[in-house]
Amino acid sequence: MPDFPHHQSAHCESGVAANLLTHRGIKISEAMAFGIGGGLFFGYLPFIRINGLPLVTYRAAAGHILRQIASIPGVRLYQKKFRNREEAMAELDMALASSIPVGLQTGVFWLPYFPKAMRFHFNAHNLVVYGKEGNEYLISDPVFPNPVRCPADDLARARFASGALAPKGKMYYFTALPAKLEHGPLIVRGIQSVCRLMLDTPIPLIGVRGMRFLARRLSKWPRRLGRERADLHLGHVVRMQEEIGTGGGGFRFMYAAFLQESAEIMQEELLHDCSASLTTAGDTWREFAAMAARVCKGRARPDDTYAAMAGSIDRCADLEKKIFIALKQWAKRQA
Amino acid sequence: MDPLQQELLQLICATCNLNDVDLNQIGPDDPLIGPESPLGTDSLDALEIAVTVQKEYGVRMDAENTSRSVLQSVATLADYIRKNR
Repeated sequence: MPDFPHHQSAHCESGVAANLLTHRGIKISEAMAFGIGGGLFFGYLPFIRINGLPLVTYRAAAGHILRQIASIPGVRLYQKKFRNREEAMAELDMALASSIPVGLQTGVFWLPYFPKAMRFHFNAHNLVVYGKEGNEYLISDPVFPNPVRCPADDLARARFASGALAPKGKMYYFTALPAKLEHGPLIVRGIQSVCRLMLDTPIPLIGVRGMRFLARRLSKWPRRLGRERADLHLGHVVRMQEEIGTGGGGFRFMYAAFLQESAEIMQEELLHDCSASLTTAGDTWREFAAMAARVCKGRARPDDTYAAMAGSIDRCADLEKKIFIALKQWAKRQA
Repeated sequence: MDPLQQELLQLICATCNLNDVDLNQIGPDDPLIGPESPLGTDSLDALEIAVTVQKEYGVRMDAENTSRSVLQSVATLADYIRKNR
């Protein structure tokens, strides 16, 4: 059986990036791939609807981390989308025949090794195919503890799932990498890109301003939408944050782990402090989510109100603003 | 089930208002979250369980030990608490 360093991860894209780099001899943690890939984000985009509900995201758009890593000097990432299913599978087989593990974008709904409860229509799920035995592909799916197998027909269907973020057979693999990654400049670059999005965007729907915008909106939902639809919106905001599905929340904790690792690499106390503060922000997000879950489940406590939840999000915004201002100033000093 | 596992199961049932669950029918390795779980809990319940466990036992499910892996069963949750508190 072909050898591939499978490691379970919290988030598929950073997990795949870390596993593919590690396979090529560049050992890197998921958190570091997430950080240098500028994976952290916040956006509340009410004009984009998913199942009739406004888009809220706690991490960068699908593909952003891999794009950032591909733009590192000396790194080349081969990427291709297809119109034809047979052609897409043939090119996958050709790469595997050359012992190249291949990253794929897939639709979760069509992957039979997922438990039924997790098979929802999410078309930006990343995995690595590292071999083929008979009619089955050997897959390193980073959200699973061990490698899995998938019949060819099912994988082809997952690669050509239709709907939002349709993968269109997208496959990718590294064709060139430097002998080693110089972490310092990549850490600074990754932090700068996240700071820009969290603090300096003119669009009031993203970054720290987006959090405050969501807080204002959320406090008015019961009055504007009625209780039932307000709870529906609230459940959606929280589901995008939860960690059991493949989207995965906990991104604040992952970025905190990146800052912690970076602090040790760069011997920088400020990054330690920012890591601790971001963990506190993650806890605050989680407390908001737990309160929202109680409201959605009809077991709210007396102080579980929409106003209190908006207050929690504002506290997250306050914390994150301080953190990213400190990181921005630190990154500026490194330039 | 050992005492910690029993304690956790009771805490989970209290947190999620699961009043009609027969605790004697739940095994330590039964799935904790999802439709296969005898508790009938979902990902929103998991969020609440994660927060409650952090408050009660002082252990955080974080980037490397996500609630997805820790909350597989009462046994995995109990092991995680023993190792980290």
